[in-house]
Amino acid sequence: MAERSFKEEVKSLRLGDGETFRGEGILAVTKAILQAGVGYVGGYQGAPVSHLVDVLVDAQDLLDELGVHLETCANEASAAALLAASINYPIRGCVTWKSIVGTNVASDALSNLASAGVVGGALIVVGEDYGEGASVIQERTHAYALKSSVWLMDPRPDLPTIVRLVESGFALSEASNTPTIMDLRIRACHVTGEFTAKANVAPSISRNRQLSKPAPHDYAKLSHPPSTYAHEKLKFEVRLPAARQYIVERGLNETLPGELDDIGIIVQGGLTNVTLRALERLGLADGFGGTRVPTLVLNVVHPLVPEQVSGFCTGKRHVLVIEEGSPNFIETAIDSILRKADVQTKIHGKGALPMAGEYTAEVLTEGLLTFIGAARPDIDIGEPARRFAAVRERRARVQAALGSPLPLRPPGFCTGCPERPVFTAVKLVEREIGKVHVSTDIGCHSFATFAPFSLGNSILGFGMSLAAAQGVSSFMDKRTLTVMGDGGFWHNGLLSGVSSTLFNRGDGVLIILQNGYTSATGAQYLPSSAGNRRDDQKTSDIANTLRAVGVKWLRIQHTYSLRDMIKVLREAFTAKERGLKVIIGDGECQLARQRRIRPLQAAALSRGERVVRTRYGVDDEVCTGDHSCIRLSGCPSLTIKPSPDPLRTDPVASVINSCVGCGLCGEVADAAVLCPSFYKADIVQNPSWWDRLVWKVRATVIGALQGKAPVRAMQPAE
Amino acid sequence: MASNRVAILIAAMGGEGGGVLADWIVRAGQSAGLAVQLTSIPGVAQRTGATTYYIEMVPPDGTRRSNSAPVLALNPALGEVDIMMATELLEAARAAANGFMSPERTVLIGSTHRVFATSEKIEMGDGRYDAAKLLRVVKDNSRERILFDMEQAAEESGSVLNAVLLGALAGSGRTPVTVSHYEAAIREGGKAVDANLAGFAFGQAHARGDLEEMAREAAKRAARNAGAEAPLARARTTFAGEALDVIEEGVRRLVHYQSLAYASLYLDRLDRLRKAGADDRLLRESARHLAVRMSFEDVIRVAQAKVSAERFARVRREARAKEHEPVLLTEHFKPGIEEIAAILPPGMGRAFIRWGERTGRLNKTYWSMRVNTTSVFGFLRLWTLSKLRWWRPRSLRFQDEQAQIERWVDAIVRAVAISPALALEIGECARLIKGYGDTHRRGSANYAAIERAVIGPALSGALPATLAADAVASARVAALADPEGASLSRTLAEIGDRTPALAKAAE
Repeated sequence: MAERSFKEEVKSLRLGDGETFRGEGILAVTKAILQAGVGYVGGYQGAPVSHLVDVLVDAQDLLDELGVHLETCANEASAAALLAASINYPIRGCVTWKSIVGTNVASDALSNLASAGVVGGALIVVGEDYGEGASVIQERTHAYALKSSVWLMDPRPDLPTIVRLVESGFALSEASNTPTIMDLRIRACHVTGEFTAKANVAPSISRNRQLSKPAPHDYAKLSHPPSTYAHEKLKFEVRLPAARQYIVERGLNETLPGELDDIGIIVQGGLTNVTLRALERLGLADGFGGTRVPTLVLNVVHPLVPEQVSGFCTGKRHVLVIEEGSPNFIETAIDSILRKADVQTKIHGKGALPMAGEYTAEVLTEGLLTFIGAARPDIDIGEPARRFAAVRERRARVQAALGSPLPLRPPGFCTGCPERPVFTAVKLVEREIGKVHVSTDIGCHSFATFAPFSLGNSILGFGMSLAAAQGVSSFMDKRTLTVMGDGGFWHNGLLSGVSSTLFNRGDGVLIILQNGYTSATGAQYLPSSAGNRRDDQKTSDIANTLRAVGVKWLRIQHTYSLRDMIKVLREAFTAKERGLKVIIGDGECQLARQRRIRPLQAAALSRGERVVRTRYGVDDEVCTGDHSCIRLSGCPSLTIKPSPDPLRTDPVASVINSCVGCGLCGEVADAAVLCPSFYKADIVQNPSWWDRLVWKVRATVIGALQGKAPVRAMQPAE
Repeated sequence: MASNRVAILIAAMGGEGGGVLADWIVRAGQSAGLAVQLTSIPGVAQRTGATTYYIEMVPPDGTRRSNSAPVLALNPALGEVDIMMATELLEAARAAANGFMSPERTVLIGSTHRVFATSEKIEMGDGRYDAAKLLRVVKDNSRERILFDMEQAAEESGSVLNAVLLGALAGSGRTPVTVSHYEAAIREGGKAVDANLAGFAFGQAHARGDLEEMAREAAKRAARNAGAEAPLARARTTFAGEALDVIEEGVRRLVHYQSLAYASLYLDRLDRLRKAGADDRLLRESARHLAVRMSFEDVIRVAQAKVSAERFARVRREARAKEHEPVLLTEHFKPGIEEIAAILPPGMGRAFIRWGERTGRLNKTYWSMRVNTTSVFGFLRLWTLSKLRWWRPRSLRFQDEQAQIERWVDAIVRAVAISPALALEIGECARLIKGYGDTHRRGSANYAAIERAVIGPALSGALPATLAADAVASARVAALADPEGASLSRTLAEIGDRTPALAKAAE
């Protein structure tokens, strides 16, 4: 039960020949793999490619008809390993994950796959989580393509090109026996557009068309010596030339002609649009694909075709290579190609453009101004240069006028998130026992590294937090605290963290936040979810698993009970006996819970059933505006408003209507002995006759005591 | 150049429906026959973080020099946004600060309400970013604007903010898409269609009227003159000028809080200041702080606030309860030894605190109480407490508070002679003392530290008058900087270092 329902999108996966597909990039890829006759699909969720698998999960009927197997993998390594099916069998497979992190996890399987080579097309769709909006370390997937000799596509970010290259990607893979990676930037995954669809193709080997016997034993298919020596030769002597030939023959890269033929641009396909628009800003392009500067668009960035590159550069004095991120593999390779071909074109790249960071409109405009200024000083770009300088100056003036920088708004825990109380508890326990070293992980819980919690000393990757605490534990006089989500636990933490720590007789406190889904990526199921996409059954239980691997000290604690969570934490930190202390912080993801219960409640309400709605509030007359409650909670629904008291200037706390009534603010006020401002309001909807009777009695008595008109005082002021 | 291209940037926060809004616009644009492209970078920003959506649309009659599809960009460019849409004021200002808006080009359609960032909320005093500055920046960086409180509009129309925003976009007439296309997009979306259309209509109406509204001021509660006529009359004869409205408010509050005599004491104290030569500004600020200090928060006052009929009505309103729906209220109380000692007679109260200290129970032992104020018994408990006003002057807390207030008023009176600025700063230090429990203890301790290390030496002349006001101000700011008190200790040490005489006096 993913966060988003793809019912509408599933319909567009069924579009036939000549029909128009409309939607976002990653869904176009999904349609394209079905059109290409894919036999099996797998992946691990993560922005920006989660939707590829999520939409297929919702399209089980279609997959059954076509015979396509879908695997929602436990991590990227298992997704990469899935592609082993294409080593021995001519079946097309596609897997997906977030890069760079997913590629890191997958890299062992990927190396072995690349060495053996494939006979069925193997396509890996990665979401390059780079630049604005990215949530991971900033590295390039390109390095993996180079070191494992797999091909890397970086298509122009429009749907027809992306779809064409998905189909070519499988074919390229088959023509060269090599897996192909399709690298999509964040915005390309989410870009909307349309393309003319083709009918889906049922694969010739599949769940519906099963084989009766396995492939004959062929030692050459094993990534094991001595085959590995032969594989290495094959990679460079057979597969690479085959790939280059395919790229040229099928025209995977594009050349845009231009009249200024002594200069040129070589650009990664993914940056084509931003480049052409920057050229337009300089008066060198028309906004409809026409450009005055000849441009080679590399939809395939590895391998490069030396003849294509040197052919493009021949006769040009200056060429700008537009390559995002570092190291600048493409620019370096082009330098080498030209040197060997003895082509004397001067290559501009890093220098005119920055070494690091996303190539935005601003960055490329500046880079192109620099390049044109150096390569063709005769072209008058004075006016666009002045305009560009003027907007930058204005920005500087705006920032100066503001004086102080605007408050940042990083992501944070949702209203009612069951993970927030755990960090409140940690802060309160730290008041007793002192600060502790906190090793943290990937997942929603890493929002605790932001204010107001500011908890966490290191992040070492998904499921790595416990392993990352063990060195520190050895020299810290207090126990270390490790935070891990259930997603991280199943992805990697169980073995890399728990087993390894137990095996080494390690000490420390581990909190596993069990919210039931991989929530940060869109609430996909995981092994300990209450359901499963196939049969609504739970697969594995975290507590049982921990006991089975040898955890002795284990507590399961519901997270909303702050007082009990504090008690358990205190016990874990102060227990005499050594050894790993594991606390499972249990509480269902509130987003998922609300999605689950809201329709049920709405239905009950419309049937006239009694439904109690709970929300919290702050008495603004009682609140004095210290905001301790906010510093200990961080709830988006707990905010501030101007004080209604004309004699006070500091804003007071306020609970807004997005409150889901989780009760943490009240618990905090209680546990931290804050103030008597908080109250809980239970609104009885569709009250029973009994509710109404009790209410009437109460209202009469209370109204009389309040000295107001009885009953009315407990009803709206109007 | 494709000059009829329209670039729309939407700034929103995760969970606000920015994605839905962008989808509506795309759908409407497509059905109007335009080439439309949307990109976004949702990712983890979906979890309450700031995020943007970027749309480009090109009408089909665009000049096609290369006879092919338009090249649509995936990122907004500096100064090239035609329509800036913002679900909140700070996010609009962020787009301006990032250089995307242009005073020659950009039509701004945004809500003026604020959703405060965590860094603004967690300040101990007032951490809100200056809203006037934000408004000025967005106005200076747009060609035309449709700005109003869309959150309120959504509330009033029973809809959601993004529908109001879409309505305002449609009403602006600045896109090559008709109103009916936008409406159709909402219908096609298929969710909460009626509510969304209501919000849409509301937004559209606002946009057509080109209504501009400033951020709303919170409604001030109605003044309660009843029973306070005598001290109010005295206030009006004794005080004039800009301090009077605050003094009147103080009088009203203290009559309600305690008694007519108590309000007279308030006026007596202010009169001392007036006679000492306090100017209007000092009188006004001191009157404000003095009223707040004299109506200190004890259990009687909390009970008073909790049982009042206006409060019951307010809670119902805030909870959006319908007329026939019972609303059950549960209060969270946790009194400790201090809170109980506070309402005992001074002798008994002090003995209780000493006992608490001796047994280590002080600030450790608390009684957690959940009181259902809407039940007869629960209400009676608080109501009884609220009727203990007559007892208050006999309580330990009252005695302690009056002594501290006297010292503080004395300090201001003495400071007036030295420098008005110093007097103002000393008065302002009352801001530190607020709240309950830990908060109150911390604030009082901070005040005491400043009094000892800065105010005392300033009044005795050990600290030169030229430095004194600044020193008090910086100590106060430091005290509000972090709850752990690190900044205050650092600042006090620095003040001590700068003035050797002061360091001695502080010992």
